[in-house]
Amino acid sequence: MAQTKLQDELNRAQYEPMLPIENKLVGWSLGIGIVLLVALALLNHFVPTTF
Amino acid sequence: MSETTVNEFRPQRADAVTSPLNEDWLAVVLGLAIFVLALAALINVDLIGWVVTTTVWTNLGHALKATSKDFSSLSGAGALIATYVALLVVLSAGAVALKANVKRFALAFTAVFWIAYASWVIGNYANFAAVTPAEQQKFGISWSLKLTNEGGYIFALIAGLIIANFFPRFAEAVREAVRPELYIKVAIVILGGVFAVTAASKLGFASSLLLRGVAAIVEAYLIYWAVVYYVARKWFGFNREWAAPLASGISICGVSAAIAVGGAIRARPVVPVLVSSLVVIFAVVEVLILPFVAQAFLAHQPLVAGAWMGLAVKTDGAAVAAGGIAESLILAKNAAEGVNYQTGWILGTATTIKVFIDIFIGIWAFVLGYIWTNHIDVKRDGDKARASEIWQRFPKFIIGFVITFAVGLFLALGTPADIAKKVPAAIGEANTFRVIFFILTFFSIGVLSNFKTLWQEGFGKLAAVYLLSLFGFVIWVGLLISWIFFGGITPPLAS
Repeated sequence: MAQTKLQDELNRAQYEPMLPIENKLVGWSLGIGIVLLVALALLNHFVPTTF
Repeated sequence: MSETTVNEFRPQRADAVTSPLNEDWLAVVLGLAIFVLALAALINVDLIGWVVTTTVWTNLGHALKATSKDFSSLSGAGALIATYVALLVVLSAGAVALKANVKRFALAFTAVFWIAYASWVIGNYANFAAVTPAEQQKFGISWSLKLTNEGGYIFALIAGLIIANFFPRFAEAVREAVRPELYIKVAIVILGGVFAVTAASKLGFASSLLLRGVAAIVEAYLIYWAVVYYVARKWFGFNREWAAPLASGISICGVSAAIAVGGAIRARPVVPVLVSSLVVIFAVVEVLILPFVAQAFLAHQPLVAGAWMGLAVKTDGAAVAAGGIAESLILAKNAAEGVNYQTGWILGTATTIKVFIDIFIGIWAFVLGYIWTNHIDVKRDGDKARASEIWQRFPKFIIGFVITFAVGLFLALGTPADIAKKVPAAIGEANTFRVIFFILTFFSIGVLSNFKTLWQEGFGKLAAVYLLSLFGFVIWVGLLISWIFFGGITPPLAS
């Protein structure tokens, strides 16, 4: 396998501004996640653990 | 300052790429084989009772013995040698299937097995492992570190770390048999059957815990990933090719997620490889710290602790192993206070959470792959993400886990009483192999963790994202969510 330097790899990685699609991905992901968590927490509260 | 190079890490082996049978499928085959052999005990044929088990000791001569009384004529050393030979033969056959170098594997495995198991035996020494005053009295000792017998895993991990950091040539020499992913996947397949026995005693309770595992998926994929990706892109300036595998490695499931997502977004192979090397190192740090933190602060919330290990510790091996240590430490602390919980529930919670997270790796990788190849890095029509990649990237060992769980549950609940009563003992023999694969996993993770890597040129920036995300966000949000969903739920008491 070729010897690839990590430093070179990182230097080669040019700065890329966030695209609108990335902002959407992050925003929707977080939004859906938080809504689902709240829903699951409520479900957890009203459907207690059965023994 | 030295330079970090790609081939120092090599988490994805050449044999994994060229062999038709990968480590996932091999783990299914090996795990199921051990499970089936163990079940022969249901028809009164004890096929694997010779496997070695270790008890807490002050006299080394009493430390080892065969698991089953049927093999009581076998000495402890004999059981250990029989176990070594059996594993050597079976795993060497596995190495053949993986098209690895069998001679190198056999030699390396010999070193790995004996060092790892010796570390485990040392960890079972009474001054390290005895927990209760009654045990200390039994062994005639005045003090103990109270690490429990499963503290032996920590000894195996430390042995691996010593080799990785002080004897790098030896670490390289045994590399062929340093396969933590394979070992932990075999253990997880066996664990399916072990959990079935545990769950059968409290089926409603077990179902409730499974439902709560859904919350873990939401957290890992939708919340962790989004935040870590944003941090890597906006605060640290990583480009998309680096940020996506990095976010996946930190937030989802370490090595496998970084590699799956790296492939899905068509990143160059070097990127997930380097991310994976970082994941392993931080997983070691977590394993060495979090179970003890859980024992100190969550001893009275055992299942919060189990869920926390599953959510916060990355890579399957480290997470499940951390669950095992946390269980042992927490049960011991409670036992010292006179509360005896059933074993298996904390480890079961940690593993279930991890397995739930693993199941969706392929789907998440496909979602990201679809977005990347259609909206971000549009190249050729033929290079679009395909739905078939979901199956391609599905961690196949989970199939083995589901099979052993389903069969174990059926045997425990759906068979006549005279058969059902033999199930715990039969699967208990398979569980002894599970412990050995855990030991091999811990040692292997240690051998892969050369901390010098962190000081090498270029690694600081990657490590900074990891440190900030893991210790500044992932661990604490994981704790909060574990508390919300598992707070106040305690395992059944041991009868």
